[in-house]
Amino acid sequence: MKYTGKPHIRLDGIPKTNGKAIYGNDLKLPNMLYAACKYADIVTGKINNIDSSLAQDMPGVKMIALYDDVPGAAKVGPIRQDYLPIVHDEVFFTGDVIAVVAAETREQAILAAGSIDVDYTPYKPLTDPQMAVLPSARLIHPEYKSNVVNHYPLRKGDIEAGFAAADQIITRTYKTGFQEHAYIEPETVTVEPDPHSGGYNIYGSIQNPYTTRKVAAMYLGIPLNRINVIPSVMGGSFGGKDDIINNMACRTALLCQMTGRPVQMTNSREVSLRESYKRHPYILTYKAGFTSDGKLTAMKIDILADSGAYSSQTFFVTWRSVVQATGPYEIPHVETSITSVYTNNCYTAAFRGFGSPQIIFAQESLMDEIAAICGLDPLELRLKNALRQNSITATGQKLNGHTVSLRQVLQTAAGTSDFLTKYQNNEELQETRYKKGIGLACSFRGCSLGAEGTDTSSAIVSVQADGSIILFTGVSENGQGLQTTMSLIAAEELGIPLKNIVFLPSHTSIIADGGPTVASRGTIAGGNAVKLAAEKIKNALFPLIKDELKTDNVNDLLWEDGRIIYADNSILFTDAVTKAVQAGINLSAYGWFQAPEVSWDEESGQGNAYFTYVYGCQVAEITVDSYTGKIEVDHIYAAHDLGRAINILGAQGQIFGGVAQGLGYALTEDFNISGGEVLSDNFDTYLIPTIQDVPQITPLIIENPDPAGPLGAKSLGEPTLELISAAINNAYFNATGKHSTEIPLSLEKVFLGHKLQKPQRQSQQNFEHKKFHHHHLDVETYTPRNLDEAMKILEKISFKVLAGGTDLVINLRDSGRKQFLLNIRDLSELKGISQNEDHIEIGGAETFSRIINDPLVQKHFPLLITACSQIGSHQIRNVATIAGNLVNAAPCADSAPPLILYEAKLLLRSTEETRTIPAADFIIKSYQTMIKHDEIVVAIQIPLPAAGKTFEHYYQLGRRKALNITRLSISARARFAENGIITEIRLAAGSLLSRPSRLSMLEKIITGRRINDELLREVTATARKCLEEEIGSRWSAAYKIPVFINLLHSALLDLQKQYSEYKND
Amino acid sequence: MIELKFTVNSEEVAITVAENLRLLDILRDELHLTGTKEGCAVGECGACTVILNGEAVCSCMVLACQVQDAVIETIENCDTDPVLQILQQAFLECGAVQCGFCTPGMLLSAKALLLRNPAPTEAEIKKALEGNLCRCTGYIQITEAVKQAARELAESK
Repeated sequence: MKYTGKPHIRLDGIPKTNGKAIYGNDLKLPNMLYAACKYADIVTGKINNIDSSLAQDMPGVKMIALYDDVPGAAKVGPIRQDYLPIVHDEVFFTGDVIAVVAAETREQAILAAGSIDVDYTPYKPLTDPQMAVLPSARLIHPEYKSNVVNHYPLRKGDIEAGFAAADQIITRTYKTGFQEHAYIEPETVTVEPDPHSGGYNIYGSIQNPYTTRKVAAMYLGIPLNRINVIPSVMGGSFGGKDDIINNMACRTALLCQMTGRPVQMTNSREVSLRESYKRHPYILTYKAGFTSDGKLTAMKIDILADSGAYSSQTFFVTWRSVVQATGPYEIPHVETSITSVYTNNCYTAAFRGFGSPQIIFAQESLMDEIAAICGLDPLELRLKNALRQNSITATGQKLNGHTVSLRQVLQTAAGTSDFLTKYQNNEELQETRYKKGIGLACSFRGCSLGAEGTDTSSAIVSVQADGSIILFTGVSENGQGLQTTMSLIAAEELGIPLKNIVFLPSHTSIIADGGPTVASRGTIAGGNAVKLAAEKIKNALFPLIKDELKTDNVNDLLWEDGRIIYADNSILFTDAVTKAVQAGINLSAYGWFQAPEVSWDEESGQGNAYFTYVYGCQVAEITVDSYTGKIEVDHIYAAHDLGRAINILGAQGQIFGGVAQGLGYALTEDFNISGGEVLSDNFDTYLIPTIQDVPQITPLIIENPDPAGPLGAKSLGEPTLELISAAINNAYFNATGKHSTEIPLSLEKVFLGHKLQKPQRQSQQNFEHKKFHHHHLDVETYTPRNLDEAMKILEKISFKVLAGGTDLVINLRDSGRKQFLLNIRDLSELKGISQNEDHIEIGGAETFSRIINDPLVQKHFPLLITACSQIGSHQIRNVATIAGNLVNAAPCADSAPPLILYEAKLLLRSTEETRTIPAADFIIKSYQTMIKHDEIVVAIQIPLPAAGKTFEHYYQLGRRKALNITRLSISARARFAENGIITEIRLAAGSLLSRPSRLSMLEKIITGRRINDELLREVTATARKCLEEEIGSRWSAAYKIPVFINLLHSALLDLQKQYSEYKND
Repeated sequence: MIELKFTVNSEEVAITVAENLRLLDILRDELHLTGTKEGCAVGECGACTVILNGEAVCSCMVLACQVQDAVIETIENCDTDPVLQILQQAFLECGAVQCGFCTPGMLLSAKALLLRNPAPTEAEIKKALEGNLCRCTGYIQITEAVKQAARELAESK
């Protein structure tokens, strides 16, 4: 192979790196209106009245569309039409849209949307799928006569006989949560009237253009040929920009139709998290029978899936789960049952993995428990049961026609990671704070759509007169690198350089429906279509060149380096093209791929589900902090058989990216939805991995070319994500002997063994909700020339002081309230770090970056440096100020504990007076301080430490390694006498009490003592008593109290260690 | 409304804008520099990162009144700036770009780093890019790209 199988720079890379790529929201059309949705103010209930009269008269408002304005089918959906892009008289979930506004500016649109008043009779939200499935439950969509969306059975063999043959049977119930796609580009759609077709052009972040076209045409009641969908450059999708985009397209197209003007709708992140669909939460019960030597005899699986308010892709997602639920093992007797149910939660649909990450978490966790029971290592157990060539799957499919490489991927991943040695070492009792673990998980995965739908794809290879080529495919570039892959396949087939090919984004009006770009089918389905089109070109050219090349068989030819070669003869590709042009031969060819036949029997769940499969195995090495429950991932090995790699660089990128998303799913991505209300509404509460959180990843690409794939290539995108949570859980088991039955493995989950959740507020229990409004910043600002002017203004007018703005601007955007701001950020009187006689003075408007890099602060106040280095991110530290951090007074303010420990004072000034307040007194409680409205914090003064050696310790606990909201922190400084007795100790806690504080009670106990077991016991007892009194009634106390005591121990022991090392030097 | 003067990519700008605009809005909507992206509007994703007076900042958190007389660099400076061009090429060669939505912000955070620290360690690279979320690449190739760019910059000097 000349071009494929090597690293290639992506063809759409340059505009993506110079800012010139046009993403959906970068599009600006002349005379364009902006749209905003009025979202439901409640989770579920009856709509009694919609009053849009106020909004109607607001500036710039051109149109408000309601349910009654929909000309076509008001209900849409990919399989069952149960979704209303604009609801009628009922709300089903918090992301439902009641009205859509078009206005001259985006700001006008969102303000008008927020002004629409709706009167409701709320229902009690039904958010627990186990309740919703009961026959007595309120019907969410009564027209379907049941809350059950679908139920799929699967039966193979005789399950009772299988359990009878077992020596042991175990049953486990697992739970997985919602997962948000968290593409960095929020959803956007633009619709313009098209005078040529008499219909509409739709642009935007569109994953599946043909589906968008179909749904929008249905909604408007117009034929498919009146809508042309032209996807913009896509800012990430992962399955997520399907239904939501179609529904947004319906609303936007409706407004476009009603106004006759182009209309753009772009979601804020908050709206995106509220409305967009998520990965299905599953509750999975596995009952497995096996012999003492570890051979699986029977598996019975019951799964309940939360479909949320609508059915969407639930039918297909759960079907994949049924096919793959047993994992890649030979099990003679299987009974699987999956049921999905409507609730009033966010609806759930496609997400990279598509029904597999849930079942793999459960079933691969179960395998390690079985291994432990049988006294086998995890690898041995898997090899014993692994699918092999000609094995029969749970659906009765015989695996042939491709290489069943499960053993190969297992052995490669285990071998490269030295799995067995590490596994056995870790099994020894680890009596340390940090415990090492290693775990693995493997899977098989059906490629493309399988029996869930019609599996066809399209491509056009159009050879121009000079031999250059234009390529279109029915599958789309969503950021995964598809256009490079497709171009490489065309280049390889026709033997011409990549630079001679231009891949153009396809419009739905140019090329026939190539099926959705889902199910990791881009390469296998789209690539096959490209290959077929290229073959047609070859066949068209062949009669013109066969005499010259002296062959009668087109398959004899070698297409390489721009030449067509047979034996010693060759002809330039361009010359052949010239001949064809002169002979009037068509060199534009359509490739149409129809997937090999598959079959399915709904009743028995038996059939040839997919035409081929891929195999993967991932190994996770982790460290568990037994003091805090924090899991750190040290290394991931990812072995994937992808058939054949077309672009090595792209394939590795898929592995790295999929693993990172899987890490989030396993550890931090805890989508918080409570009583149907979305509480994780931005990236500060929905935590995806940062660059600091992704460990070393070793990609292990395994190639067994598949006859069903173009050039042997199959699938990779999804398998990379689906394995990690089980691998990590198994590593956790290896490290601690404990298994979790739930993901994510949050701090609390690992430490306590169960999930800890903030209880619902009273208002939520009464189904009262705050009125929906779009986030919007409404401010007027004034920038004073100097500090005197600033103070004079504050004396007279109620301004809020704006410094870095990293908290204030965000809070104001959230509140939507009008605010006057006094911008003091650049006042020179508030800058500078200087040394005075007995203290260091830091200007109030100094940024954390400046403080961290200041030699004076570095010399005297190391705790402040360490704490401030962990605030937010680099960008936040560049603008956030030290006074701003204190005045904002968040309980988690990171600079406060060290400042309190160092006995810093705040210097406040107004026109009336200058006063100093100790940092320890300044913060009264959460978000409340002693500052008066006319005061400005001009400086922070920190006394220089007295002479003599001090020892410092700082620890910040967060859920991630960056962009954290500190969960707990401890700052400690000690002085020791020659004899090892502590002469002075200062301790300060962050995110623990109602305000950052010194722990004076503990300081008293410790002073004058040596650090030993007796002291630690006393400290523990006192800390426990004090903390129980102060915060014992809080929901988080069960976690925070014992963990803080652990951190306290660790701090004291570290101080002792530092002292001993210092003394021994 | 507020009258502003500042410099973007070496060009002086004089403009009158509404006071509630953020630097991000000014760049995208007023100056049509749409290479700077909005991902979260709360400073958590870094897609809107620009270089303001030499430092990487999230332009979604900087208000209009705070850019008076400022010197701003956006991804569009890539047309002429050699450091951004070296970074651009390294990102492409290392496979550090997938959907590309985070890429402009990544490049500017990386450039701000290389300006103050031409030979960063891996830990320093991660510290500089910790405020830039990427959901596609898993970051591995991004870290590699910044290392490669730093090497190439050192060689070119």
